[in-house]
Amino acid sequence: MEEILARIFNLSVIQNTIRTSTPLILAALGGLLTMQADILNIGMDGMILIGAFFGVLGSYFFASSFMGVVFAVLSGIIIGIFFSFMVVKLKADEFIVGIAINIFAGGLTVFLLRSIFGVKGAFSSDQIIAIPRIQMPYLENIEFLNIIFNNHSVTVYLSWILVVLVTIFLYKTPYGMWLRASGEYPEALDTVGVSSQLMKHFSSVMCGVFCGLAGAHLSLGYLTLFSEGMSADRGFIALAAIIFGRSHPVKTFGAALLFGFFDAVGMRLQGVGVPSQFSKAIPYLFTVIALFIIARRHLNKKKNNSMETVS
Amino acid sequence: MIKKDKYKVEYLISLFISIAAALLLGGIIMWFYGKNPILGYKAMFEGAFNSQYRFATTLSKMVPLVLTGLATAVSFRAGIYNIGGEGQLYLGAFAAAYVGITFTSLPGYLGILIAVLLAAAVGAAYAYIPALLKVYYDIDEVITTIMLNSVAIFFTGYLVNYPFATSQGKMGGTDVIAEGYQLSRLVRLSNLNSSIFMVAVIGIMIYYLMEKTTLGYDFKMVGQNKDFADYGGVNSKKRMITAMLISGGLAGIAGAFEVLGTHFRFLQAISPGYYFDGMLIALIVKNNPLGIIFMSFFFAVLKTGSMSMEMATEIPSELVLIIQSVIIFFIAGEAGMKKIIKPLFKRGEEA
Repeated sequence: MEEILARIFNLSVIQNTIRTSTPLILAALGGLLTMQADILNIGMDGMILIGAFFGVLGSYFFASSFMGVVFAVLSGIIIGIFFSFMVVKLKADEFIVGIAINIFAGGLTVFLLRSIFGVKGAFSSDQIIAIPRIQMPYLENIEFLNIIFNNHSVTVYLSWILVVLVTIFLYKTPYGMWLRASGEYPEALDTVGVSSQLMKHFSSVMCGVFCGLAGAHLSLGYLTLFSEGMSADRGFIALAAIIFGRSHPVKTFGAALLFGFFDAVGMRLQGVGVPSQFSKAIPYLFTVIALFIIARRHLNKKKNNSMETVS
Repeated sequence: MIKKDKYKVEYLISLFISIAAALLLGGIIMWFYGKNPILGYKAMFEGAFNSQYRFATTLSKMVPLVLTGLATAVSFRAGIYNIGGEGQLYLGAFAAAYVGITFTSLPGYLGILIAVLLAAAVGAAYAYIPALLKVYYDIDEVITTIMLNSVAIFFTGYLVNYPFATSQGKMGGTDVIAEGYQLSRLVRLSNLNSSIFMVAVIGIMIYYLMEKTTLGYDFKMVGQNKDFADYGGVNSKKRMITAMLISGGLAGIAGAFEVLGTHFRFLQAISPGYYFDGMLIALIVKNNPLGIIFMSFFFAVLKTGSMSMEMATEIPSELVLIIQSVIIFFIAGEAGMKKIIKPLFKRGEEA
């Protein structure tokens, strides 16, 4: 038993956790910006997929992983602008647009995969340059730190930095305050002369940027190839992380790490005969339960308050 | 009444413009791809209609689309957004397969009836969870239904890979259901089966329910203005739950027909996102049950035709996904677009 446990929970699980959670962290950072601006973006999965494709495209044709990331981010910006045009400007239902973006992304990437690279299913090539990995020599002496923090793609460290930056942006700058106000009190924000619409546009485009980064990490960092539907519902797990973390960047980061951990452990458990379906279902199930607990607490509070006023 | 008709005409015009624009865009993409768009669409059209087999295939593709489309429409009309039909479909499909492999000695018609009813019950029960969470705890059903989709798909995936895995090789499916439960095929080689008649009956029932009964009228009222409905003595909470149960039941039946009529067993990836197709269809026709039948036919033509188009012209069949989503983008943005365009014309008239 101990032997099995040791096989499941060792340092490489933490390493895998970091790998599997990075795309979730990146996408969730984008999604929480829209969520704070009161927009539920369920098109994140499609945005990640498009980012992953254009990441490979840029990397392959310019023989540079940097250009790959640039392409992925540009594609994210374009789809983000489109999303915000539909949702904020034309006031289309956000979840309808989100679903359509997911379907559109599935069609577009497969179509382009076949028309540009002439393959079906997946495209891999030596000419796709992966995002470089960082090796910090001074960590090498300590096995623990070495395994956990060394030898990850640049995007992994970038995602951690972005967690800090997004937190500062949201809670320490006026722009961040405006963005949150555009979700909570849009009229009040408009009254002070700041356009809530503009902040909503901004959050949508930033969501595209982050999802593009998540896609680039997926196709150039986590793996070095593009395959059909490779986002594999990560956009929805990211959404779960946002809800679990109640749209706060640090809490969401924690939730994404937690979900990444389940994924990593799940892979190990499968090795000892435990079905992977359980660990895969956990993020979704947890989110529903968390929503229920939050709502019940909220409801009880309301009840107590009204009781107090009565007495 | 005149105003209502005018609204309908306006909607039909924008619907046709949307479809035409999407098809035009598809044509432009074909042209960029180096193919003749006219030949491409011709291949698509022929692929969907040209022979008895092909037309039967087109009709068979309508079955899950009509059911999932109606499932969406019922819930959306009552203002509760069931996006979890995919999960309900999977559970329903598994329930039907379970009946088909467990109670093998019942007479066929009875077994089929039990399988379909159980599938509906299971789908409805699974939709009941987000409905309760929405109505009594005010938890966004869009989020919970999305989450529950994945839970159901993984759960059935577990079932058919472990306790119910078929003994014939590893394929992520159950055993084949009893022969008596397999719906009869109508055209040789094609998947078209007798479930299409049942879908016709269900379609009429749902049409009647939505358009001709008090319950249907209540759904509409709750969907348009919940508080107003409550004020008028309609229990909006109860109506929303009812709508969700019907919606989940229909999604479950869609799953049952995939098992009983098409695959004869449950497969772990039995639906390539039928519910999402159905949802697009319902959204395009604004939850109108008759419209859903027409639009399902159109989507089925695109689906079947795109395969033949790919074989004949090498244009990837995924093009239709782009066309379908573009139609949705147009329809979803329709109201907003009109608001922007109309004042432009008015200003022109004044000047």
